[in-house]
Amino acid sequence: MDPELGEEVPVASIDKELRKLWEADEVHTNASLINLVTCSEQTGSLRQNSAIIRELTREHACRAILVEFDRTVEIPSIRAWITAHCHLAEGKKSVCCEQIAFVFTGRVTGRFRNTVFGHLNSDLPLVFWWQGELSDVFRERLSSVIDRLVIDSSSWADPVANFVRLNEAVASSTLDLVVQDLAWTRTWQYRLSLAGMFDDPVALSALPSIETVRIVHHPKHRSSALQLLAWISIQAGWRQGLGLAASHEGPVETFPLESKSGHAITASLEADESSAPLGLLELNAPGVTVRISRTAGAAHLLRELITSANSQTSLAPADPDDDAGLVGAQLARGGKNTLYRKVLPRFLELLGD
Amino acid sequence: MTNPFREDLVSRSRPESCTVVIFGATGDLTHRKLVPALYNLAVDGELPTGVKIIGFARREKSDAEFREGLLELNRKVSRSGHDDAIWGPFSENISYHQSEFTDPDGYKRLAERLDAIDQERGRKGNRLFYIASAPEFFDPILISLKEAGLNEAAPGCWSRVIVEKPFGTDLATAKHLNEVVNATFHESDTYRIDHYLGKETAQNLMVLRFANAIFEPLWNSRYISHIQITCAENLGMEGGRGGYYDHAGALRDMVQNHLLQLLSLVAMEPPTDLSADGVRDEKVKVIRSLRQWDTPEKVAANVVRAQYTAGHIDGAAVPGYREEDRVNPESTTEAYVAVRLLIDTWRWSGVPFYIRMGKRLPKKSTEISVHFKPAPCVLFNALPGGVPGGNVLVIRIQPDEGISLRMVSKLPGTSLRLEPVKMDFHYATSFGKGSPEAYERLLLDAMAGDATLFARRDEVEEAWKFIDHIEHAWHQSDNPPPMANFTAGSWGPKEADDLLDQDGHAWRRL
Ligand SMILES: NC(=O)c1ccc[n+]([C@@H]2O[C@H](COP(=O)([O-])OP(=O)(O)OC[C@H]3O[C@@H](n4cnc5c(N)ncnc54)[C@H](OP(=O)(O)O)[C@@H]3O)[C@@H](O)[C@H]2O)c1
Repeated sequence: MDPELGEEVPVASIDKELRKLWEADEVHTNASLINLVTCSEQTGSLRQNSAIIRELTREHACRAILVEFDRTVEIPSIRAWITAHCHLAEGKKSVCCEQIAFVFTGRVTGRFRNTVFGHLNSDLPLVFWWQGELSDVFRERLSSVIDRLVIDSSSWADPVANFVRLNEAVASSTLDLVVQDLAWTRTWQYRLSLAGMFDDPVALSALPSIETVRIVHHPKHRSSALQLLAWISIQAGWRQGLGLAASHEGPVETFPLESKSGHAITASLEADESSAPLGLLELNAPGVTVRISRTAGAAHLLRELITSANSQTSLAPADPDDDAGLVGAQLARGGKNTLYRKVLPRFLELLGD
Repeated sequence: MTNPFREDLVSRSRPESCTVVIFGATGDLTHRKLVPALYNLAVDGELPTGVKIIGFARREKSDAEFREGLLELNRKVSRSGHDDAIWGPFSENISYHQSEFTDPDGYKRLAERLDAIDQERGRKGNRLFYIASAPEFFDPILISLKEAGLNEAAPGCWSRVIVEKPFGTDLATAKHLNEVVNATFHESDTYRIDHYLGKETAQNLMVLRFANAIFEPLWNSRYISHIQITCAENLGMEGGRGGYYDHAGALRDMVQNHLLQLLSLVAMEPPTDLSADGVRDEKVKVIRSLRQWDTPEKVAANVVRAQYTAGHIDGAAVPGYREEDRVNPESTTEAYVAVRLLIDTWRWSGVPFYIRMGKRLPKKSTEISVHFKPAPCVLFNALPGGVPGGNVLVIRIQPDEGISLRMVSKLPGTSLRLEPVKMDFHYATSFGKGSPEAYERLLLDAMAGDATLFARRDEVEEAWKFIDHIEHAWHQSDNPPPMANFTAGSWGPKEADDLLDQDGHAWRRL
């Protein structure tokens, strides 16, 4: 019995053992709306992921399947554990979600797919959370049965190469595969807040004359900062500046952009160890500053609209920092992620600069 | 120029910044519902920046005292809990305006205050007037707003009004109120609140019906035997509500608005689009097609009214209706009503709808149940016990929102015996996240100019027309149908059971 993963059971009798979990139980309700599969090649990931699932199932009932690939052992083997995460719903009813955890050793091809798919709840959507680099295992035609693929491009050492693999997977997918990048999720509240601030006619009328964009980010979250910049530039109709190359000086990267009417806009990305994942987004036009900021760990974003006449401040919620919170937020929003698809090419251009 | 950052971001119409003026701001509704709703919108980052709130009421209060009182209640009732970090900046935008509802000078000062806010902002702003006063003040408030010129918006801005319930007490008063409202605000700027429409399951009714291919083909007289709408309350007249209730009664307080709104969502044809008028055009057709119970005889045959006598709820003794606080001991007001309704349309021909609403019933519960006709049981009729009942689709509105479907299944064993089983979907179990309060959604919709979930003038008037006949038979005819009785804590009078029994149906046991 593992305190986190539960009881170890033979792979062949997982279903029987799961049924036993519920047989003697009249108090708990077993619920699930999705199949959630996590995959990691990191040793020790199962326990971490189990803790994440425990958090996540407070709001998202799911059948969870956790997979870890142990590359240190060559002989092929599979071990499995089962448990359930239970929470009191509205202080009354105990709602539980089943979890199956697997460790694969040796070459995994075929076995992995079949084992995972053999234990899905039928008819429920499959959310597949691939953690880390998109390795060979990922390429095993998995994408053909996934509804949502969760990745975190900020965890990739070589984002360009990984995005190439990702695009192959999306292209070969038979379903309408929705990719959800946690780096993109981390920009959500910033985007909402920016949109909210540009509802103000003063800010909106200053949009054509924006001269600088400044983004401060934690060094681990460059991907989010770049996606945010890509989104802003696409929505505002800015082009990449001609003839000028992006430059890098110490922790500051500069990207030359050009407005619809052809005036130059300087965008800078600043990496700062003490910053929140995204610490600051500031757009400046003559006489108008739109600023959204967050101190590391804070639960709120501070929104400031500063004009020569006055300034308005308000708070807005911040995006969660932890993976459970981010995945939860994504699941709650659903959708087809069309905006991400729209922004991706520009992001890749900026990434390539 | 449109805001390009809004594109593709969220799928709802965009709320616009405005100044919200609440009339009756020291009252219960403002403290328990309206301000906590605005606060929770701020928590979720949904409240547009720059929203200001002005509370309008009679007693002397400083801004600080007003905010203090709101803070105290927000701590107790806020859906997402209370966070001083959010409340701080949020409450800085709240101020208090002391005035009598009938004092022209008070509105002049209000106009000046609104102008000062515009000046501070550097431009003209939108205004949302929320009338949360007792109904006798609706007229004077609207007229005074007009006299002060506050109904007119500056170019490029809007001026809207939200009117609380009750919207009139009969057709004549509703028509009069509509005239006063429409003489002050355009119909498109008028938002008659019915908070039932802001509830998640009420909105889900349309999704259930029109986004699932399996229900709509069955949603007609060919497959449906009848439909029941129940709104049960276990409370009586606690907290002084007897004073208001004894003048209104169950039919006017709940059926005219909330339950007829639910009925129209269940029974309407698919709208051509999801626009406010697209949806409301279809809803009003349902109300317009109700067969009218326009004689005392028809009322006696199709409507049951009742009062409760002393009884027990949850083990505690409770008084009878006429013994309740602030209720006239000789009251002829109904605390329970059951109505059989017929909708004269192609789709619903011959399908009775039964609505019941009562106080001091065994538990609090609002639900709609759709009872399907039995399958042709040529195969299983001969079995001992026959086939146990038809399929029932239940849409629970509150509490414990959800949907369930009853079907017939074989009992395990070597012999063939049939039993009903239930497929059940609970929002709270499946989606751990709580739904926003109805008022949050509705306030945001009003700021966005989306009137889909608000009642339109013709809906309100058609509903009153139907209700008026019944009220008339009860209170003004020579041979009024009798008042039935039931023991508090039971499921209503025997007469209501008989009403369904005549048609070969029975109320669903909740
Ligand atoms: N409470 C609810 O949960 C609820 C639910 C649905 C609908 N409603 C509807 O909402 C409306 C308000 O309900 P409520 O419970 O909030 O009422 P309430 O607690 O009685 O509050 C009445 C408000 O009106 C003010 N007022 C009364 N006479 C006034 C005058 N002559 N001049 C200026 N202000 C005056 C009071 O101010 P002072 O205190 O300063 O005198 C107070 O702020 C009613 O139409 C009710 O039917 C209420």
